[in-house]
Amino acid sequence: MKEQLKKDFDNNIKNLNLSQKDIEIKKFCLDNFIEKGFPNRKEEDWKFSDLNQLIKNNIGELSFYNDHTSTNKVDTSVFVDGLEHNKIVFINGRIEKIDFEYEKKDQIEIIDQSETINEFKNSNSLSDLNNAFTNKCFKILVKKGYQLIKPLIIYHSINSKIWSKNINLRLNFELDKDSSLRLIDLFSDTSEKNFLNIFYNFELKENAVLKNYKVDKFENKNIKYSFNNIDQDKNSVSETFILSSGSKFFKNEINCNLNGEYSSAFVNGIFSLNNDKHHEIRTIINHLTKNTKSYQLIKSVLEESSKAVYQGKIFVNSDAQKTDGYQLSKAILLNKESEFNAKPELEIYADDVKCSHGSASGSLNEDSIFYLMSRGLNYQQSRELLINGFLLDVVEKITDSQIKNLIKNMIGIKE
Amino acid sequence: MLKINNLNATIDNKSILNGLSLDINPGQVHAIMGPNGSGKSTLSNILSGKKGYEVSGEVLFEEKDLLELETEERAHKGIFLAFQYPLEIPGVNTNIFLKTSLNAVRKARGEKELDAIEFLKLVKEKSKKLKFDEEKLNRQLNVGFSGGEKKKNEILQMSLLDPKLSILDETDSGLDIDALKVVADGVNTLRDKNNAFLIITHYQRLLDYIKPDFVHVLMNGKIVKSGGPDLALELEKKGYENFN
Repeated sequence: MKEQLKKDFDNNIKNLNLSQKDIEIKKFCLDNFIEKGFPNRKEEDWKFSDLNQLIKNNIGELSFYNDHTSTNKVDTSVFVDGLEHNKIVFINGRIEKIDFEYEKKDQIEIIDQSETINEFKNSNSLSDLNNAFTNKCFKILVKKGYQLIKPLIIYHSINSKIWSKNINLRLNFELDKDSSLRLIDLFSDTSEKNFLNIFYNFELKENAVLKNYKVDKFENKNIKYSFNNIDQDKNSVSETFILSSGSKFFKNEINCNLNGEYSSAFVNGIFSLNNDKHHEIRTIINHLTKNTKSYQLIKSVLEESSKAVYQGKIFVNSDAQKTDGYQLSKAILLNKESEFNAKPELEIYADDVKCSHGSASGSLNEDSIFYLMSRGLNYQQSRELLINGFLLDVVEKITDSQIKNLIKNMIGIKE
Repeated sequence: MLKINNLNATIDNKSILNGLSLDINPGQVHAIMGPNGSGKSTLSNILSGKKGYEVSGEVLFEEKDLLELETEERAHKGIFLAFQYPLEIPGVNTNIFLKTSLNAVRKARGEKELDAIEFLKLVKEKSKKLKFDEEKLNRQLNVGFSGGEKKKNEILQMSLLDPKLSILDETDSGLDIDALKVVADGVNTLRDKNNAFLIITHYQRLLDYIKPDFVHVLMNGKIVKSGGPDLALELEKKGYENFN
């Protein structure tokens, strides 16, 4: 892998117009990655999902060079119908389109930050990989007091000519005071066996509201990692919803720093998995000042030999009094081969806090099935009704009604 | 309509029904009374198709072998069980459940499925008759319902599905006197010459409101005595012990 990385890195650098200093920084990140390699189970954060092994078993040898010198055609058929929205389109990791057609042009600024790198606390070797290979990075700045009229959908497409590739991309968001953004990440993959490595950074200023929805619905054989760092000032709100379903492997990581008083973070998620899919949600909520709140609800429906992992950490700093932290995960295992792992972590250094966690897993209630079947529903209908009922309260946590309906339709929950 | 011949049932190697026989004809109301553990609920579970029992003997429903049918097929053919403990189903809207159930049964019977408006009209009319608070229909199925509301919901389902044979498994337990009357009224208005009822109860009280044609005493998994409505009164006086 080392030789491949170096060769692909040199090829990539050739196409970029970088200063010697920037090249040095990228080289440094590459060397870090080469030294550490892909995360494996020896690392606590990856003990349930050995990425190194997953890549070996499902992809084999990866290549890291992507030709970003020519444009890709945007396939408009993947665009969501019936919901007016702004768009960013990534194809094979290359930004093909940024279109805020519904917004006031002077209220949103798009800033080229390609020369910067990710520097997150808690980040792993994938951050180095991302820094070494991302070509372009933009910051979307929403100006003070501006609330986007329509949601922004970020399309992640990989076209079918690409396989066994590592694709890296980065985006930064800054929501200035009193601004708001609704964001949907939508994955449509027509290719197989690639590894997508995504880093987002969100900066929420006072009173800003971020609604961050991640939708991985369509069947594909790709491996994905998505890291989201969210820094929050006073009174800001972040709401994250994850529908984790389509990919072979997907790990979503939410790292949230509640820096300002009365800021709050909500993370809700659904794992709906079949076959031998393996998905994970890793959250770290850092309560760093007093009067902050976090709430997490994760529900799983696992078929066949699928596996879901939820590692949720609530950290409460010594001066973060009056913290309110909550997390709950529930799983329905539909097959004796399916597996759910929950690892709640509460690390609390303040004494006046309210924190709780819970986790439960079980099978479908046979008595409930009998009840529904005795009313004329067949087994399949009864099962569907029970599963949809089980998932409904997580979907109901989505505060945007348009997007809630979109996601309900995707899961097949009928009103 | 229903012919039970020498029905035996065991669960986990424990014998529950021991050679039970019973005939029910259209237009009849039969009451089965018996002490705890006599096999009353097992009988209603087996008739409606609950899994987990080892069953032998014969059960014919309209001349066809009932034991061969799946639970939902029995519902389609017109068997209805009002549960002793109706289940709470979180996240499932009561109205949606009722419509899905009604249309599944109508479809199987070759009748036209109802659209949303037709259904709402029907369910409104039926719930009014049962004094069932319509607002409850928009809530999750049985979640947060009182004991009485759950039982009324069972009778509402019964009246929507219009079954041929209705089995009421201790529907009177946990009901106050007003709810009991409403439930009994519901049953009485459904009674006609084409359908039949099997009422399972501990107490004679319900039978003051739903007049049975036959009363059977169930002990240790078989019927030990059958008679008219007077038998229930006799039971109430003497208790079950004298029938052992």
